[in-house]
Amino acid sequence: MVGGERRLRILARLVGSGSPAFETKRLCEVCADVTQMSGAGIMLMSGDVPRGSLCTTDEVSALMEELQFGLGEGPCVDAFQHDRPVLEPNLAAPIVPRWLAFTGPVVEAGVRAVFGFPLQVGAVRLGALNLYCDRPGPLSDDQHADALVMADVAAHTILVLQANAPPGKLAEELEAGADLQYVVHQAAGMVAAQLEIGVGQALIRLRAYAFGNDQPLRQVADAVVGRTLRFAAEGRYKDPKP
Amino acid sequence: MPREALLAQTLVELADTLVADFDVVELLTLVTDRCVEVLDVTSAGVMLVAPDGDLRVMASSSDTMRYLEFFELQAQEGPCLDSFRTEQAVVNQDLATVDGRWPRFAAEALKAGFHSAHALPMRLRGTVIGALNLFHTAPGKMSKADIAAAQALADVATIAILQNRAALESQVVNEQLQTALNTRIVIEQAKGMVAERLDLNMEEAFTTLRAYARNHNLRLVDVAYNIIDSTLTTSALDAAPPDTAVLDRSGLSPRWRSE
Repeated sequence: MVGGERRLRILARLVGSGSPAFETKRLCEVCADVTQMSGAGIMLMSGDVPRGSLCTTDEVSALMEELQFGLGEGPCVDAFQHDRPVLEPNLAAPIVPRWLAFTGPVVEAGVRAVFGFPLQVGAVRLGALNLYCDRPGPLSDDQHADALVMADVAAHTILVLQANAPPGKLAEELEAGADLQYVVHQAAGMVAAQLEIGVGQALIRLRAYAFGNDQPLRQVADAVVGRTLRFAAEGRYKDPKP
Repeated sequence: MPREALLAQTLVELADTLVADFDVVELLTLVTDRCVEVLDVTSAGVMLVAPDGDLRVMASSSDTMRYLEFFELQAQEGPCLDSFRTEQAVVNQDLATVDGRWPRFAAEALKAGFHSAHALPMRLRGTVIGALNLFHTAPGKMSKADIAAAQALADVATIAILQNRAALESQVVNEQLQTALNTRIVIEQAKGMVAERLDLNMEEAFTTLRAYARNHNLRLVDVAYNIIDSTLTTSALDAAPPDTAVLDRSGLSPRWRSE
């Protein structure tokens, strides 16, 4: 088994320091620290779909996660789907452009390199680790090796935390600091009622609207929940108030 | 090998176990053996809590140590139990003078040739899974450096055990995680549908859903699923008079609950 030294270094950073060892925010900070990146975020995923952000180190990494959640594209989505690290050392001028909707706003926010690493324990896949750097350039061999061990530790840590949660609930430690975009699901429910369609379809309509109007998905969802935006079909009215 | 190097190597060996399918007894035996090699102690042992909440002897560096640990459990008194119960380190206990604290254990330990006892909790973020026992044939105090080194060994062993347990149960835990995420999403979607149909805000929609679930003795998540697949109409929801105002005054958490 390899990685003992690296793993120990990472664990020492996790349990060291005064803050609670398994605050997910701390986990993210260690991810960025260990790999010497500008920021990090952890995305929970299932069925190839981002479910929400577990933690982020800063506003830029939060933006990266939100965009990937809204658009369904980006380094962590690819890392999870293809089950391998995804490396883009020069996001502003990539050799092969990808993530057409994700790249613009992220580069504008100052991101120059992004890296995604799948989070898994054996056959169980939990999500992906997002790393970004404000300078272009590839990961060194050392950074790459650290990121792999870090992703492994992070995946185990998520399971350790969830193992103590009551059935049917997300562990409090995971919930704290997470951004699971509940407003988007509330909006999907409202749009489903407005258009008399399923919630899955409603979510697609929301995403399509966001994309077509060049707005973040959350902003569209906020507008729906705030009742400043309706998807009602023509000639159809709201149920009368009982 | 110098002491620091041996300690560092042990920590690395423990860290390695985090990804391997390791045997917990083997891991803890490594810990107790290294404690005796690296620290100024004669014997070491580890007890872990079993699913039933009782401590079990998991590893001992010697047969005498093993016997004393069993005795400690039998008598229900001793440093390891105290450390486990109080979640604190119990160190520098002179067995010849602590007979008030553990009369039966101290007598037995002295008979076996030990004069000082120390125990450190194996603890991680509020979870105490056991304790590490360190005994010496001579009376005296453990150095601060030794206590710190012993605690470091105990800490890494604790993480290794917890992460290993999580890995062994990874399928089950992951299913729970996915269920938890899905449950919450379905409830949020149902809130949205109810809010839209009954012209309520999200909190009122939630209260309505929860009231219906309670009045009909259903799980909130099942009600939410039924709303979403239209087997339950929102007008039926509204027909049930919410009685949550009464429940809320009883001090129940207003947070959503799935039961």
